[in-house]
Amino acid sequence: MATTPQRQTDYRFFSPAIPIVIDNGGFNFRAGWAGESDPRITFRNLVHRPRHKATGEMVTIVGDHDPALLKYFDCTRSSYRSAFDSNVVYQFEIMEYVLDYAFERLGAEGSQVDHPILMTECVCNPLSSRSKMAELLFETYGVPSLAFGVDAAFGYKFNQQKGICSEDGLAICSGFTTSHIIPFVQGEPVLEACSRTNVGGYHVTYYLKQLLSLKYPYHISSITWEKAEELKLEHCYVAFDYAAELKLFQKGTKEAEEKTTFWQLPFIPPSQEEEPSEELARKAALKEKQGQRLRDIAALKKFTRISELESELHDLEDLVQQLEEVEEEEIYPFLSTTVYNSRQELESAVHRVTQSLRKARGEPLESEDKSDTSLSEKYSLINVPDSELAPEQLKEKKKQIFLKTTSEGRLRAKQKKFEEELLREKQNQQDEEKRLENPELYLEETRAKYRDLSERLEQRKRLKTNGSRSNGNNNSSGGIGRGERLNSAQKERMRLLTTAAFDRGKGEDTFGAKDEDWQLYKMMSKDYDDDDDSFEEDEAELGRLTTRLQEIDETFVAKSDMELLQGTLEIPWPRPLTVEDYKMTLGIERFRCPEILFQPNMIGVDQAGLDEMTGGSLRRLPTQYTEAKNSMCNSILVLGGSSLFPGLESRLEAGIRKIRPYLSPLKVVRSMDPVLDSWRGAASYAAAMEFPTQIFSIQDYYEKGESGLRQYQIKYSLLRLAGRIRAGRMHITAVKCGVWISAVGRWGSASQHKTSGFPRKSTAPQEQRSSGMMISVETSPLRQTKP
Amino acid sequence: MEPEVVSSEMLLSPVFSFKKVQMGDKYPKGQARGRHWKHLKQILQAENFQAYTNGRPNYLNIEAPPSAYPSKKFCDITGFEAPYVDPRTTLRYANPEIFKRIRMLPNEYVQRYLSLRNAAVVLR
Repeated sequence: MATTPQRQTDYRFFSPAIPIVIDNGGFNFRAGWAGESDPRITFRNLVHRPRHKATGEMVTIVGDHDPALLKYFDCTRSSYRSAFDSNVVYQFEIMEYVLDYAFERLGAEGSQVDHPILMTECVCNPLSSRSKMAELLFETYGVPSLAFGVDAAFGYKFNQQKGICSEDGLAICSGFTTSHIIPFVQGEPVLEACSRTNVGGYHVTYYLKQLLSLKYPYHISSITWEKAEELKLEHCYVAFDYAAELKLFQKGTKEAEEKTTFWQLPFIPPSQEEEPSEELARKAALKEKQGQRLRDIAALKKFTRISELESELHDLEDLVQQLEEVEEEEIYPFLSTTVYNSRQELESAVHRVTQSLRKARGEPLESEDKSDTSLSEKYSLINVPDSELAPEQLKEKKKQIFLKTTSEGRLRAKQKKFEEELLREKQNQQDEEKRLENPELYLEETRAKYRDLSERLEQRKRLKTNGSRSNGNNNSSGGIGRGERLNSAQKERMRLLTTAAFDRGKGEDTFGAKDEDWQLYKMMSKDYDDDDDSFEEDEAELGRLTTRLQEIDETFVAKSDMELLQGTLEIPWPRPLTVEDYKMTLGIERFRCPEILFQPNMIGVDQAGLDEMTGGSLRRLPTQYTEAKNSMCNSILVLGGSSLFPGLESRLEAGIRKIRPYLSPLKVVRSMDPVLDSWRGAASYAAAMEFPTQIFSIQDYYEKGESGLRQYQIKYSLLRLAGRIRAGRMHITAVKCGVWISAVGRWGSASQHKTSGFPRKSTAPQEQRSSGMMISVETSPLRQTKP
Repeated sequence: MEPEVVSSEMLLSPVFSFKKVQMGDKYPKGQARGRHWKHLKQILQAENFQAYTNGRPNYLNIEAPPSAYPSKKFCDITGFEAPYVDPRTTLRYANPEIFKRIRMLPNEYVQRYLSLRNAAVVLR
């Protein structure tokens, strides 16, 4: 897409009388010579100021260039900047870079740009922007004179010249950042009735880019601005009836499928090289070897541990043996030589070592039932009355009581568990019997039961949370934000709180007379749950049924799993990517994006669309033009870069027909070249003989200044006076202009004029440019006047 | 400079013979120059259009008025006509399947969808 204009070499062959025509558009900047059929240079109206990586210099790049060359620049701290805010030039530093580049590409030489300049601007350009532009051109480039005109008007006049539209008409110009409606009466634009909507091609591209990157978040890096622009030009169209087109796509009809286009990103399938079998075998062998090694190590460790424990146990048993032999009085002296303080300690150590030895050998642990035997001596103090005990013993008794109750509790729990197990076993057995009787019926029954139960549970859960936390979208803290709905429990709580707060002072306060009154506080507490037990029971039953179903039914998928599955459907699953994943579907986007020209509301711009705006423009027309409305609607010209969408004219026609009286004439035509016609119109305007009467010269600038520019307004119908100027006859006009100008003396000083006529040339005249070049030196009468 | 950069002629020369005032003189290097331009809004304010109420067209009054028709509501995700609005995210949606998707969307995406029609919450 990069447009790099060639440097022109024939600048010096143009007389200073010949104006330079500049179409200063928001998207492209076009410049060329008056009277030519095409602009000499065209580039994106953008400036980029990156830092050169190697030298660290700040450089200026105008227009868009080969992106491959940008690797030499550090673009992290700069980006493309435009001199435009909406369609008004506001950054004149950037404008100056752009103009520098333009004149340089045109091959400008000498100490100043010694040509009149015709530049396009937006409709009703703010004065400060216009005067800054004049200041820049006059004071920095030394331009002798200027003319400002509206691009769409030039485009309309150009088409009028070619007989495409008539002198009364409407120009609908949809540009890069804005769209305008300009009514024409007798060949002159009626500025009072113009209207503008701040929606243009930029918005369409931006919308497309955003929609695509939201639809394909993992390709976001591929969806660049340039790509979106390209896709827009290639695929987008305007739907004749937007609602019907939407329905078509919503139903997924065949027609919609045909209209769907695709953009395939380059896809390189991940390499799936099959490893050679011997390699696999080698790897398996290696793995096996490593596993064997680990097993060996583990076995060795086990063996050493067992032998260690055995020797320890042996030692301990020896010790016990010795202790048996020792006299009662000598126990303590004997024990002091060991690490143990008492016989009990020694015994417990023996017990511990035996246990760990068993564990190491993998034998079942000795159950602790043994302790039952010593129960009576363990809790020896419990049955002794308190009065018989010393304070220390009392303490001991308390401890024993505590120990006893806990161990009993544990025992009871065990018992209960065991019973439950039994019950379940029994239930299962019953189930199994039933199943064997009639497997299908049983399965059906179980399924129904499962469905019932799970639904009931879900219902309860929903009631409890009311979905407020189900999607994790926000509010995950569980608090209740403003505007959140309360669930039933929360509502009940709120009700209780408010009644409690407001029933004060109503009659007698009997609160607390009944015990149930105090329940209120329990119900008010934040995490109060009324019937948790049945809920838990249901849940347990559901769990049982789930396992049961999983056992007997292969097709069964638990509901919770299903939800999991559904939840993950949207999230890209980690699986090998295929070509399909690199394919972007452009279905509804094809006409959804250009639709914003007709419904700017879609992107939040609160303005009327193109068709409605046309009606508004017609209404705004001053009363004396009312009878011209019919003839105006019979010559509606569509131009501007955004009018390139297919189907735009027919849509506009349909839209405007709605607001016009029944059977009134209506004709919508596309301009010959919606993009270039403005420049061409401007170029032929600048070549007209009367052009010099329309200029704003540097003298005017010094004499009148801003107020002069405020009043400044060109007459577009000049072209009609000038007659049809054909490109081939241009040189004559240009020369005539020059003669005329020197007579009037408006184009700067006469001396300047004389000296900088056509330069003398020894070589053959510049006729290399076959089509575009109109100035032929031989036929120029000026040449004969030269010495 | 690399040869291909030079040959592409992409870099703008800082000095041109045809200029009366060079860029470097206008904006001297190393000097803080602040912002020397106005945004369009400021420009329009400075134009003081209210003072010229003689019905002459200006940049502001040629702007198209809001549409007289009620704006159609379209699904933010699919673009189809949207009869429903999600009260939590205020996204419009066309059918229950889209609603499910909306509820799965992270907040960032919700905001991006909303900002497409200029309805996102802007924190200042």
